[in-house]
Amino acid sequence: MRDEMLSSILSELNGTSADIEASAIISIDGLMIAAMLPQGMDEDRVGAMSAAMLSLGDRTSDELGSGELEQVLIKGDTGFVLMIHAGKDAVVTVLAKPKAKLGLIFLDVKRAAENIEQIL
Amino acid sequence: MSNFKIVFSGPVGAGKTTAIASISDFAPVSTNENASDMTRERKPQTTVALDYGVMKLDGREKIHLYGTPGQERFNFMWDILTSGGLGLVLLLDNTRKDPLKDMTFFIDSFRDYISQTALAVGITQTDIASVPRLDIYNKKLREMKISAAVFEVDARKQADVSLLVQSLLFTIDPGLEY
Ligand SMILES: Nc1nc2c(ncn2[C@@H]2O[C@H](COP(=O)(O)OP(=O)(O)O)[C@@H](O)[C@H]2O)c(=O)[nH]1
Ligand SMILES: [Mg+2]
Repeated sequence: MRDEMLSSILSELNGTSADIEASAIISIDGLMIAAMLPQGMDEDRVGAMSAAMLSLGDRTSDELGSGELEQVLIKGDTGFVLMIHAGKDAVVTVLAKPKAKLGLIFLDVKRAAENIEQIL
Repeated sequence: MSNFKIVFSGPVGAGKTTAIASISDFAPVSTNENASDMTRERKPQTTVALDYGVMKLDGREKIHLYGTPGQERFNFMWDILTSGGLGLVLLLDNTRKDPLKDMTFFIDSFRDYISQTALAVGITQTDIASVPRLDIYNKKLREMKISAAVFEVDARKQADVSLLVQSLLFTIDPGLEY
């Protein structure tokens, strides 16, 4: 039941924008809770990297005086990776196309993260 | 002022985060997060990125201390953190099911790094589990053709961890003064 609700949030999220290519919900210690990832992408790696990045983002934002972390954004030449807390025990990770309209994606992912927090 | 970097690794619960906190001269950076995996049976939190601390020697040398996560899913952090390092402190928890297997696993995982740098092994929780004893670890290391000092350490004790680190530094540079 919970898993289905989480999966439906992810498929809705992936559907809101053609620029969102994949998304996943990950426990704060790096284990996959739900995922809609491209074939062949290693869930364990995505999970562990998301947890590591988000945790470093938390510490960096705090120690360098930027306050509470809202998101971690990684820009590569062929796409974006966006990570946002879904409550204090989970992360939402989204992969988006390089020309994505980030403002809209931020909003959609933030809303999804709030829904996920309710369910977890 | 010269700077050295050493890396602490080993399985979950061996005491990497605790050891760095014990010897760091300032409040360490840690990335402990609530555990949802098997770790939870041993302790509530687990390192997901790194630990970082600094130990100063005689006011001139700075030893930068980096701790890794223990679970294999974080092994990309092992690569990242060893870059530029001069040695490995391997901590092993004597209460785990097969700490010798843990040792073999971590030495194999860090083999390239160890072959270019140095290794010191610290066995923790020997107050709870007294076996395997140090001679067993030494024998295994000889079989693996690895040269390393092995100590019993309590990661909570500054003196224990400091001795282990100093033995590693001595292998790296016998000229260092403490
Ligand atoms: N009894 C006992 N406890 C220890 C010893 N060394 C470390 N500990 C405890 O073992 C736990 C190790 O946790 P942590 O440092 O998070 O391990 P990590 O996963 O390697 O970072 C802590 O609760 C320490 O207080 C030891 O020699 N004896
Ligand atoms: Mg740790």
